[in-house]
Amino acid sequence: MITELLSEIDDSAGRAGLLDDGARREIRRATLTAVCVPGYQVPFGSREMPVARGWGSGGLQVTLAVIGEPDTVKVIDQGDDAGVNATNLRRMIAGTEGCEESTDSRDATVIQTRHRVPEQPLTAEHVLVLQVPVPEPLRGVERSTAECDRMHAEGDYAAIWVSLYEDLVRNGVITRSTGYPVLVDGRYVMATTPIPRWDVPRLHRSPHLSLFGAGREKRIYAVPPDTDVEPLTFDDVPFEVEGGHEQQCALCGSSDTFLVEGGGGRTICSDTEWCARVAEGDADLEAHAKQAPLHLLPDPARRVRTAAPVTLVARPEPARRPVVSAAEWTLQVAGLGKVHGLGGADAVAGTGPEHGTAISPTTGAIVAAWDVGFDVAPGEAVGLIGESGSGKSTVLRCLVGEESPTAGVLHLAAVDAGATDLFTLDAAARRKLRVDVLGYVQQDPSAGLSLNVSAGGNIAERLTAAGWRSYHAIRQRAAELLDRVEVPLSRMDDPVKTFSGGMRQRVQIAKALATDPALLLLDEPTTGLDASVAAGVLDLLRGLLAERDVAAVVVSHDFAVIETLTERAVVMQLGRVVEHGLTDQLFADPHHPYTQRLVAAARR
Amino acid sequence: MLRIRNLRKTFTLHTIDGRTVVSLDGVDLDVAAGEHVALAGPSGAGKSSLLRCVYRSYLPDAGSVSLDGVELTTLPDRAMARLRGRELGYVSQFLSAPPRTGPLEVVAASARRRGLDRDAAREAAAVALRAVGLEEALWDVDCGVLSGGERQRINLAAGTVAPPRLLLLDEPVSALDPANRELALSRIAGLAASGVAVLAVFHDAEAISRLATRVVELTAGRVIRTGPALEVAS
Repeated sequence: MITELLSEIDDSAGRAGLLDDGARREIRRATLTAVCVPGYQVPFGSREMPVARGWGSGGLQVTLAVIGEPDTVKVIDQGDDAGVNATNLRRMIAGTEGCEESTDSRDATVIQTRHRVPEQPLTAEHVLVLQVPVPEPLRGVERSTAECDRMHAEGDYAAIWVSLYEDLVRNGVITRSTGYPVLVDGRYVMATTPIPRWDVPRLHRSPHLSLFGAGREKRIYAVPPDTDVEPLTFDDVPFEVEGGHEQQCALCGSSDTFLVEGGGGRTICSDTEWCARVAEGDADLEAHAKQAPLHLLPDPARRVRTAAPVTLVARPEPARRPVVSAAEWTLQVAGLGKVHGLGGADAVAGTGPEHGTAISPTTGAIVAAWDVGFDVAPGEAVGLIGESGSGKSTVLRCLVGEESPTAGVLHLAAVDAGATDLFTLDAAARRKLRVDVLGYVQQDPSAGLSLNVSAGGNIAERLTAAGWRSYHAIRQRAAELLDRVEVPLSRMDDPVKTFSGGMRQRVQIAKALATDPALLLLDEPTTGLDASVAAGVLDLLRGLLAERDVAAVVVSHDFAVIETLTERAVVMQLGRVVEHGLTDQLFADPHHPYTQRLVAAARR
Repeated sequence: MLRIRNLRKTFTLHTIDGRTVVSLDGVDLDVAAGEHVALAGPSGAGKSSLLRCVYRSYLPDAGSVSLDGVELTTLPDRAMARLRGRELGYVSQFLSAPPRTGPLEVVAASARRRGLDRDAAREAAAVALRAVGLEEALWDVDCGVLSGGERQRINLAAGTVAPPRLLLLDEPVSALDPANRELALSRIAGLAASGVAVLAVFHDAEAISRLATRVVELTAGRVIRTGPALEVAS
């Protein structure tokens, strides 16, 4: 059916106009893709237009591609048909495409607009084309376009939820006006640029087709008729439109339209066509009143600042996790190997402690870890000890999913009751596990935290990623966690970059515990801290491990850390496990020469 | 209950020149429930090594240690770690508590490992600390700043709270003044009376003759004599 549709589109494209046939065909195809995948930004080869980029070149290309002789075009700029830009665009489109032009929304079939959806209720006969300046809703929270693409692909929108959370914390309301993020058809988050929040409800299950064109950014996206468009907001924080209850237009007297400053302290309608027709008595006021978002006007009583501030009752004992499967272990890894460089498993021969090197004599590859295996039971902490370069962090990164191993299998009891080898899962699936199954504390807190985001917001990132959508519940949970890690509640809303190293590490630990993961991975958790601060963090971790049924893997080069936190330990040297046993036995009766040296070094 | 057969332990000192030191050279020993067996012999005879081999702080080279038929020398580490809490306790001469923790917390943590819930553990810990005569004012003071005698009493309290079935004592009263020593010895005497099997090392004959039901004398890693307490001590 799509192929048929495409060939029909191509057949009808043989006319003169600003766009040549090839361009028209390409933009139509991109537009059709956009309609098929609502909210998804389709890249297209944006052409030079006789208007500057950033002045509506994207919208113009979409209009020119979809419009034909039987159509009537209307162009609005700042809610006004009579502006220079609007008039010139309208004349140019009508002149080059041979279609009719009008300023009356009821006559128009294609309405190109900047800033507004017309106040006139639209029908299935209308196509609304919006000129988009910034199509990427994640631009404000993520600089890398590749990372934005990944977030869209995986539906990983925690970052944008955190930005809403931070806005509420800082300002008490969500201040974002144009470009408010919406979830389209339950799948893609889309920026509703360039329209104000007032117009956002007009896109939800609308009878008309909305097409968004961004010329500079070379993207087209669409909201087809009857599609769900939900503004992102927390369950307990209502979405608000702009304006107040007492205002009305100084010209036509309307109080159910989007009003803007009209000079001289007056407010006037932001849609000149509608305003004039209301004044003339040529408007269907009843139909308009039905669509007006008056029920979404700000309600001070429901704003977050009116709610009681977060308070802590007695610290509850953490819930004991029910045993997920019959397996003895939470984590089981076997035969884990990681070779950097050529040769893979063939490069392993000739490396290891007995050869005194990790560099393959045949291929020069670095054998960072080979044949590493251990398992961890619920409530048990296992240490991974060895000097720098022994491969312990490589092993941990493979467990977390930051590196893909050359060999080995990894099972978690929480995933398919331990049946799936996690190393066979793709990166997206591994990342999902890090939200609710795995807690990861890194040596450098700045690697695990967003420093410009508040302590509470960093915890909110984990919670929103796990599906939490109640602002107050998120704050309560964040407050409890921060209290548990002894970060004062008065610092909850301060950016983490204002925190000391020890405090940052505590926030990182709180974040790792936010979703009560079954497995906690600690990579040199106290190494970057000075002695007294490190002692405090170590005490905290000891307490946390004692009170929970979490399974933990602790990587450290420091025997004191391993001795304090773990019952069993694995000693690594040059990528291999050279000894394993009960931690106190490794300390009191080390067998391997390397372990004996480590123990001797630890006795200061 | 505890059955030791032909136990051998040799240390290989890789950090020096790889030389080996024989510590236990084929030890046979049995301890029954409610029995208090004291190990005697000169320094270096292997008394402490024997306790540690039972507890698996040392990994024996050969021989068998079985507790109610469970072979401990080859038990997987995790199973051994679990067994240590509830079945098997070890009280060394010196307290090895986590840094920056107070006596009550240390003893309560020990009781929790032995299966008591949080409140019961704290209660049992308080009883144990009183029994060894530790002043209540010190219960939340960091163990690291307390005196040697106080630390030893905390260690004994932690080892004997909610007592395990087999308790290994390694000179648990060596640093105590006479009054506190008396309290500690009567606490230990009560253990065997309540059915705990005790294997102990004391450095003075008076404690042995008072507590032990049987004495095993070691020299150079071998048992040279065994018999009732009075007979060996004399």
